[in-house]
This record gives sequence, C-alpha cells and structure tokens, in this order.
Amino acid sequence: MDFKFGEKEEQLRREIREFAKEELPPGWLAAMLEEENSDEDWGFAMTMSGKLAEKGWLTMSWPVEYGGKGASLWEQLAYSEEAAYWGIPGVGMGIGGVDWVGPSLMMFGSEELKKKHLPLIASGKPDGVWCTAYSEPNAGSDFANIRTSAIREKDEYIINGQKIWTSAAHRARWCWLAVRTDLNAPKKHQGISVIIVDMKSKGVTVRPLINYAGYHIFNEVFFDDVRVPSTNLVGKENNGWYQLMHSLGFERGSVAGRGCGYNRRILDELVQYAKENHLFREKEIRHKLADMAVLIETQRILACETIWKMSKGSNPVYEPSRDKVFNDQIAERLAIIGTGILGMYSQMDPLQRKSKWTKLKGCVEALYWLFPGIAIAAGTDEVEMNIIGQFGLKLPKSY
Amino acid sequence: MDFDFSEDQIMIKDAARKFLEKECPKDMVRKLKEDKLGYDPLMWQKMADLGWMGLILPEEYGGTGLAYMDLVVLMEEMGRNLLPAPFFPTVALCALPILEYGSAEQKEKILSEIANGEKVYTLALTEGSATYEASGIELCVYLEGDDYLLSGTKLFVPYAHAADYLLVVGRTSQKGNPEEGVTVFIVDAKSPGIDTEVIPTAAHDRQCEVRFDRVKVPRENVLGEVNKGWDIVEFILQRGAVLKCAEMLGGTEAVLEMTNNYAKERIQFDKPIGSFQAIQHKLAQMLIEVEGLRYLTYEAAWHINAGIPSKLLISMAKTKANEVYQRTCLDGVKIHGAVGFTEELDLSLYFIRTKSSEFSLGDGGFHRERIACELEQLQPLFIGNCL
Repeated sequence: MDFKFGEKEEQLRREIREFAKEELPPGWLAAMLEEENSDEDWGFAMTMSGKLAEKGWLTMSWPVEYGGKGASLWEQLAYSEEAAYWGIPGVGMGIGGVDWVGPSLMMFGSEELKKKHLPLIASGKPDGVWCTAYSEPNAGSDFANIRTSAIREKDEYIINGQKIWTSAAHRARWCWLAVRTDLNAPKKHQGISVIIVDMKSKGVTVRPLINYAGYHIFNEVFFDDVRVPSTNLVGKENNGWYQLMHSLGFERGSVAGRGCGYNRRILDELVQYAKENHLFREKEIRHKLADMAVLIETQRILACETIWKMSKGSNPVYEPSRDKVFNDQIAERLAIIGTGILGMYSQMDPLQRKSKWTKLKGCVEALYWLFPGIAIAAGTDEVEMNIIGQFGLKLPKSY
Repeated sequence: MDFDFSEDQIMIKDAARKFLEKECPKDMVRKLKEDKLGYDPLMWQKMADLGWMGLILPEEYGGTGLAYMDLVVLMEEMGRNLLPAPFFPTVALCALPILEYGSAEQKEKILSEIANGEKVYTLALTEGSATYEASGIELCVYLEGDDYLLSGTKLFVPYAHAADYLLVVGRTSQKGNPEEGVTVFIVDAKSPGIDTEVIPTAAHDRQCEVRFDRVKVPRENVLGEVNKGWDIVEFILQRGAVLKCAEMLGGTEAVLEMTNNYAKERIQFDKPIGSFQAIQHKLAQMLIEVEGLRYLTYEAAWHINAGIPSKLLISMAKTKANEVYQRTCLDGVKIHGAVGFTEELDLSLYFIRTKSSEFSLGDGGFHRERIACELEQLQPLFIGNCL
C-alpha cells in the first residue's frame, strides 16, 4: 500500500495553485454549478476554459492526437480536486463535454466524429460546449422510457420530441442526445440510440426552467422535425442503452474528485470563518466541523480507491455510484452545517453575491440551494443506491 | 497511490482467517465468554507459535520483524472473527510502547517473553474520570528509598486478571500541565498490594478494576523517563487507536456480510427481503460506510507505518470506526428482525461489543476534539496560496 500521491501529481498541484493565483480575481470563491447562470459568469468561464486548454489541462487525460496530454488518472484526479478547490470555472465545457462526451466518443464514436468533436472540446472554445439531453417528462429515473424519436430518412435522422432538465442547453453548441430509433423494439431498453445534434439546427427550441432560487441552469428543449446527418449517430443504432450506461459511469465518476476538492474548500472557509468570529470555541460547532473533516477525508480516499481500480485496468461498476451518493450526502450536511454557522447571514439571496451582508461570497447559501440539484443530476440517490445494492452487494433488482 | 496488500499481508490474512475459523469458531467465542479466564491459553500458545505476538517485534527479541501495517491486517482478521484473547493489550498497548521507549534490558527481557507467548501484559491507564485526559491520572506515586510506591485505582483495564505485568500510568508530579508529571511503570501483577476485580461488562470482555495499595515498584521499572510518561500514553493512543480501528473494521465487514447473506435468503411476501428498497438501501449505505472506514483506517495506518503518523488521520479513523461499527451492528440487528434480538445469532456477539470498542482509546467526542484542535492550527490553503 501507498497513500501518497507521486511527485508528478504534487508538481501539477503546485502549478494549478500558481495558475489560480494568477488568473482568478483576488479572493475568488466560486459557487458550484453556477457558471451557466449569468452571461457575465459564463463569459468568464469560457475565458478560463481557453486558458485551461492552453495549459493542456482541460482534457489532460485524453490522447495527444485528440488534444490531450495522455495524463494518468492520478494526474486527472489531482487536477479535478485542485480546480474545484480553487473554484476555477470552465472546466467542463458545458454539461459533459470534457467528462463524458469526449470519453464516450473515444469509446464508441466514428473516426469522423472523433476527429471533429474531440479537438473542438479540447480547444476550450464556445464551439466545443455541450449539453446532455436524457430526461423527458415521462422518463426521469426510468430513463429507458424516453419517447423522443429519431427516424432514419436516407442519410438523415428526423428528430421529434421533448427533453427536460437539460442543463446548459442555453449555452451549448452541441447536444448529446438520447433518442428512440426503433419504435417497435420488444423491450424499452432496446431501440435507444445516441445522436449528436447541432443546437443551431432548425427546429430546436430552448425554453428556460428557472430554479426556486432564481438560477437559470436547466431548460426544456423541443425538437420539431430536426434534421441531423446520419453520420451524427454515435456508435451503433439501437445500442444506445449500453453506451449510455458507460456515459453515466463517466459522469458519476467525475463527481468525486471535484466534489471532495470543493467540499474541502467550503470546510476550510467555514473553519476560518468560525475562527475569526469566535465560533470555533463552541464545542458543538467544533465537533460538527470535525465530523465534516472526517467525511471529506473519507470521500477523498474512496475517490482514490476508485481511481486505483481503474488504473489497474478494471472497470468499476458500483464505485462511481458509491462516490456520487456519498458526495450528495456530504454536500447536504455541509450545506446544513454551513448555513447553521453563518446563522442569520445565511438567509441572503445567493444571487446577490456582492451584497455587503453576504458572507463567504454566498458560496454556502449557493451550496444550500443547489445541493438538491447536484443530488438529482446523473441519477438520484435512490437510483445510485439501487446500483450499489445490485452490483456492489449482488442483491436482487429492487424496482 | 496503491491500495494493494503486499504478499506478506495476503499470507497473514489468509493464515489468520484459516486459523481463527478452525481454532476459534463462534461456539468457542461463546464458551470463552463464560470461561473464568476469558481466553484459551492453548490457543494463545498456538498464536505465539504462528508468530503473531512477535509479528512486528525485531528478530533479536524472537519476533518476525514485520511492519505496523502487517499488524493492522492481522488485527482486522481478529476483529472479523471476534478472537477473545489478551492480544490487543499485550501487543498494541504494551509491546509497541516498550519497543519504542524501553531500555535495552527491558526490551531484551520483556519483548522476548511477549513474542514467545509466555507473558500477558496490559495497560492500566484510565481511572474514575473514565476519560483519556491527562487530568484523569491521579494514581499517587511516592519514592521511598530505591522503590516507588503506587496507590490508587485503575478502571477498565483489559485482561488485568490474567496479566503477568501491567504498564501503570501514575502521577509523579502535581506541577505544571496535567500532561507533565505522569510516569509509566512496569509492574509485576503479583506484587503485594494489587487487587484485581473483573468488571461485569455487557461484552464479558474481561475489563478489570485494579486497586493499588502502596505497591512497591523498583526504580529500574520506569518505562522511558520520569514525568515524561504522557508522551508514551500519546504514542499508545495513536498506535493503539488505529489497531482498534482495524479490529472494528473486521467486525463491521463480518456483520455486513452476514446481514447481506440473510437479506438474500430470507423470503417474505414471496421475495428475498433484500429485493425491497427499504432493506437494500440500508445495506448499500452500510457498504459505503464500511468501505470508507476500511480505507480511512489503512490510510492512517500507512502514515504510521511510513514514520509520519498523522494525529488528524488517526482521530478521523477512530471517529469513523466508532460510528460505523455501531451503525452497522444496529442496522444488521434490525434487518434480521426478531432473530436479530437473540443470543443465538452470531451477529449478537458483534453488537454486544459496540460499547467496549467505542470507548477503547477514545470515543467520538474525544477524537472530534482532537480533530478540531488540528483544524484550528492548520493554515487553510486559500490564505496566501503560498504553496
């Protein structure tokens, strides 16, 4: 056993810290999930995406030929952790460009799609920004229930249907879309495919869905006779379910490193705040913060274990779900404990981050109002628990 | 980073599991619960022959010279199997600090006797305050000629009734901080003036009250330096707590395994109860917690092994172990339903030990306080970002 990161990863951490110091405004403290909300934040995020791309960090674990550096999974983990700790925006290229669109394309995409899209994502430019459209009004946790159809007509697919909760659709150039290609398949998991849609296509309509705290993160997306070249099909027709389980694995797997980096930052901020405001003397607060420290360290070491399994060539099945659900539980506790520590100041509107009454740049309020979204995205906790039960404990299917 | 066991560790794990399954099945654990001594000296000797007591003691003292991490692996197996024996007090609480702080003569004599299974040792630390704070050490020590005289009462001393020697933590000075003025003595358990009484704990795990009435201890039996004994206690707290975590980890693994098996076999409403989400999600949460405890324990242990012990990680591991051991047992009992409430179910043997493990070397409150102290001293990275 060895529980130390290598010198390569430590060096990378130092470089990222240096980068954060130089490139972020003084006292920068980002709120998670927020960057697609306002034009100003989005603009800054895109600038940073470009700079991360120049550094070669944005898609560091991708092969060189696709705009990566061939970095190890460990370097990738160190980068995710640090980028989240420092709150560097623009690491994702919208929802999923870096974390699952790219890796899924490398696994299933045609040479043409890889050559076109991977360098676009790796460039950090607006044309490499993605949204991911899976859920529909009648297909939430029961994802295979999707009805949006893509019907082949010569060398095109014609897409019709509605997607919902599509984060960053209002910022994205491309959509990673789950569709039904065989309307007569005997089982609902059959007949599903993944297709790439240019969000500028005729017939695509994006309608904002506003979150209870006023954020514009997700959207409804309507597809009315949208024509897409058949070469935009990812992988095999009707093989989508299998491919999507991999994409979801990549998505869940991306949560842990970023989550523990960000949670650690919030914890550090809360400890510092408690110290400066004479709250750290209170046993109740000290012990709650100690508990959070235990949870976040546990999260970090579990994330490392998942990476270790991957680095040994195995394909972790339940571990990304474990790490994802654990992050959700930690974010929730951190949000509740954090707002408790800020006390009355935690009532501030999280969108008024510059208000003189706002503490810690509103990041604790933002976490409180946004953690349910984090917990639901990529599969609700209950869905993740089903996966852990079925694949981690070999229990019978429970739904 | 590497989460793999070494070849030695895999061998230790397999050998320990085989030995304990054969020599210490659950009916043996139950039998020893009622036994006067509380352990089987024959089994103890076999353990010594396997090299367990001397696992990490140097070869010059009859040990095998393996590393702390290897002992962690062994403790995990002992916890999984609930081995009733004075192994933890003898090795974790006494052999390790003697190896670290003992004089050449002390090490030569004591460690060889421990390695070959001849002698049982234990630590007499806690008193009426029932805490691990230095202020709780009140046992009076006077120097009379060339001997120290010890008077006072120690509580929750594991296996003191069977011990040949005790490490006794006494107060040798009232000046300064409570941490200053504490000394550790190596005391022959047969010395006149020592009176031992087994405390009737729920776990029947043979913790004792030991009363000292002007017990004579020769000067050369001081371990380490006079008035510097709290360093030794801190050393024991750190090294011992992680070994206790490993033992508790083994227990939680066993409980999760038996509960998961039961959920697959037990049929109600024509289905295994594990197919119901109310049960399955509880088990999934248990898995998350047990795996978290496993790697947190290994991480804390690895740092000790590498010579860079982290007080923070150690206290994190014990806080986690206390929580997870209890939670896993409670949910395990509940998932079993009424049979979970019985003595006949093996799980009960684990559940009944929750409190003795929790309070061994620090409960959650104690370790949270230590974590908080560490957090207080740490300069957060974002201030100055000077790295």
